Amino acid sequence: MRFTGIGEQIRLVAGLRWRILRNSLRKKNNRLDLIGLIFTGVFSGMFVLGLCFAFYMGAYFFLSKGRGSGIALLFWAIFLFWQVIPVFVAGFGANFEFRTLLRFPLSLGAFYVIGLAYGLADFPAIASLCWLLSITIGATVAAPGVLPAMLLIVTVFVLFNVTLERLISSWLEKLLSRRRTREIFLGLFVLSMISLNFVTPLLQRHGAEARPVFLHLFPYFAWFPPSLAGRAIAAVSQLQPAGFLLAMGSLSLYVLLLSALLWRRYAAQYHGEELSETAAPARAVVRMASREEEPTDGLRVLSPHVAAVVRKEFRYLTRNSFAFLALLVPPLLVLLFTSQFAGRHPTVSGKAISAEMFFPGMMAYLILILMAPAYNSFAYEGRGIQTYFTAPLLFRDIFLGKNLILVSVLTLEIAFSMAMLAWRVGLPSPPRLLATLAAIVFTIVGQLTVSNWSSLSFPRKLEFGQMRGQRQSGMAVLVAFGSQILTGGISAVILLAGRWVGNPWLPAEAFAFLAAAALGGYVASLDVLTQLAEKKKEVLIEALCR
Amino acid sequence: MCPQKRRRTRVRVLLLIFELGQGDTMPEIAIQTHKLTRTFGNLTAVEAIDLQVAAGQFFGFLGPNGAGKSTTIKMLTGLLAPSAGSMQLLGLDFAANPVEVKRQIGVVPEGMGLFERLTGTEYLHFVGRMYGLDRPTTQRRSEELLEFMQLADRPKTMIADYSHGMQKKLALAAAVIHGPRILFLDEPFEGVDALAAGALKALLGRMTERGTTIFLTSHVLEIVERLCSHVAIIHKGRLVAQGSLDELRAGVSGSEGSQTTLEQIFLSIVGQEGAERPQLEELSWLM
Repeated sequence: MRFTGIGEQIRLVAGLRWRILRNSLRKKNNRLDLIGLIFTGVFSGMFVLGLCFAFYMGAYFFLSKGRGSGIALLFWAIFLFWQVIPVFVAGFGANFEFRTLLRFPLSLGAFYVIGLAYGLADFPAIASLCWLLSITIGATVAAPGVLPAMLLIVTVFVLFNVTLERLISSWLEKLLSRRRTREIFLGLFVLSMISLNFVTPLLQRHGAEARPVFLHLFPYFAWFPPSLAGRAIAAVSQLQPAGFLLAMGSLSLYVLLLSALLWRRYAAQYHGEELSETAAPARAVVRMASREEEPTDGLRVLSPHVAAVVRKEFRYLTRNSFAFLALLVPPLLVLLFTSQFAGRHPTVSGKAISAEMFFPGMMAYLILILMAPAYNSFAYEGRGIQTYFTAPLLFRDIFLGKNLILVSVLTLEIAFSMAMLAWRVGLPSPPRLLATLAAIVFTIVGQLTVSNWSSLSFPRKLEFGQMRGQRQSGMAVLVAFGSQILTGGISAVILLAGRWVGNPWLPAEAFAFLAAAALGGYVASLDVLTQLAEKKKEVLIEALCR
Repeated sequence: MCPQKRRRTRVRVLLLIFELGQGDTMPEIAIQTHKLTRTFGNLTAVEAIDLQVAAGQFFGFLGPNGAGKSTTIKMLTGLLAPSAGSMQLLGLDFAANPVEVKRQIGVVPEGMGLFERLTGTEYLHFVGRMYGLDRPTTQRRSEELLEFMQLADRPKTMIADYSHGMQKKLALAAAVIHGPRILFLDEPFEGVDALAAGALKALLGRMTERGTTIFLTSHVLEIVERLCSHVAIIHKGRLVAQGSLDELRAGVSGSEGSQTTLEQIFLSIVGQEGAERPQLEELSWLM
């Protein structure tokens, strides 16, 4: 038997990654993914090549004009892209686990080197390497004498970036290996993405005040690696060996420090670090049945089946940290939109939109967001869906329980958002307020019937706390879209009709009638949906028990 | 909890379940199927099987991988609609009385069917209420079952964080919480530790003594041989043998049948002809 060298092992790992990708595309369902991949590939190629030209021009400009230190800006751009994008792309879910390679006969050194090589095979790394090559060419064309130093600087900068990226990935893997942390992280991530929208209004309002603080902090950035790389090149172009040595020495120190930290992480993994969260048996807790107080049943008005489903749904909601944190999104959106389009100081348009228009529009938008999950309401049931079919009950009870929880959450969210709107913009006139409230009942109840049908017909399993590979069924999305356009269209026609005939109370009356009709339709639909559930049970179980 | 107290709790659980199993007078036949068939496109997974299981029997349902065991159990528990044929459970036609039948059966389905975001206690409460038990009864039985299954020391742990064996024990607890008259178990001992498996076997044995019918699939033939009084074997979707262990032994080995193991019966009926048996000679480099 001969032993495989590190080079051969890296080649094998690269081949493995390629085969995993290729085989995943062979599935029938993933043909669309292939088309998507081709489009993504073409656009990514254009993006990388376009920026290659920009980086080339930038490097050429800075060195030919004798402003070598300006090249640091280019290094900063590459550094941010290389470090931030992998967190977005790979932070949230099933990925090829590099650690699984540990079952093969690898030394710690080989494991470390393969880990680094693995990091160089990601898209952000490849794109960054292309851009660094462009910078090198641009700088060399402008000042041929800098080439040897440039190659050295770029090599150390690449080593710094790949080591840091692997280190962050490794820490993230450890952090996200716990379900609860993963979910909270995902929720905070989504909230922070939404919060980014506040940056522009805040800068518009407080930008001038913050400017001196930024300028005060600016010099400290000179000791970060991208600035050090830029300073090293500037020193070479200005023939200052001491400056070059200082910058390169500092940059190398960063690499050494990060390498030591990464070695420590990989060594822990190599020696069998346990990331699983199945805890060791805990000390027995003696709980006597007779001492337990019987909790009061706040849901006794409901049938036992419906009450059981309501309790279960509530627990699922509170334990799905992502969904729970997502409940903060509607009030955040109200705050965002009121600051941009309404209130005393709208930042987007000069003239504020009146409460008469803003209030129903905002409510419609919130319902659009909040109702979306209802179109695939069994998404998180997993294998538990079987319990619904083995238990002695009618499926109408399941829908009633699920819909009750959804309506309660919607009521709470809408009430809270209305309070915020009243504070920020003010309430509309009574006829418009009542019309909006009746329209809310009509659109929610009307959509519940359709969403229940959609949940049975186009189920798609979703995992808690994962972003990657979490896609709703295309048909469910289409149904949701069609249903919302229909209810939105009807509402718009009624509002316009009220304006046309000059009767401000007409929309409120029409919506009240429609709400009553939707409620009747909903009640009538429950039995039909129970029969449909029996017919669709195999599709449901198959889709959710995967 | 001290061992003595634990034993007392276990006995109480056993008694509780036996009490429930005793209820009404059981009909003689617990499970009866007639030409039960299930097709998936061109594939016939189960072909016209006629099963008959008497009340109170510990019935083993065997077959090689892909033979149709899980498909049959899914049809018998309402998780899969038959393509043709009929089935009666406890004298009730399943198609006509699905809710009434489901009320009287307990199931540990393939994959266990647990809601992983609930704790063990919450899941048992949920299932108990779904089967129509009142809250105090559900609470009392949940605690006793969790104690019996040695799951009571993790009251706040979510099922998602349970080990496979713990999940299996919880699924079993949920299947018996309402005192079913027929219990369907798909690979019940897979992943369960020896200690718990021993207690479970004792419990299941006592349940059958008191009239509960148990319909079990397992790949571990020794377990089936030890627990089951009657066995059926399915192969390529067809029922190829059915009867008591003695009847099957006699069928395979004639008068010398008493020494024949279930494994020998299984292999002889399912047919391990030379053509199907993997050729060890091909792996000579390993030996």
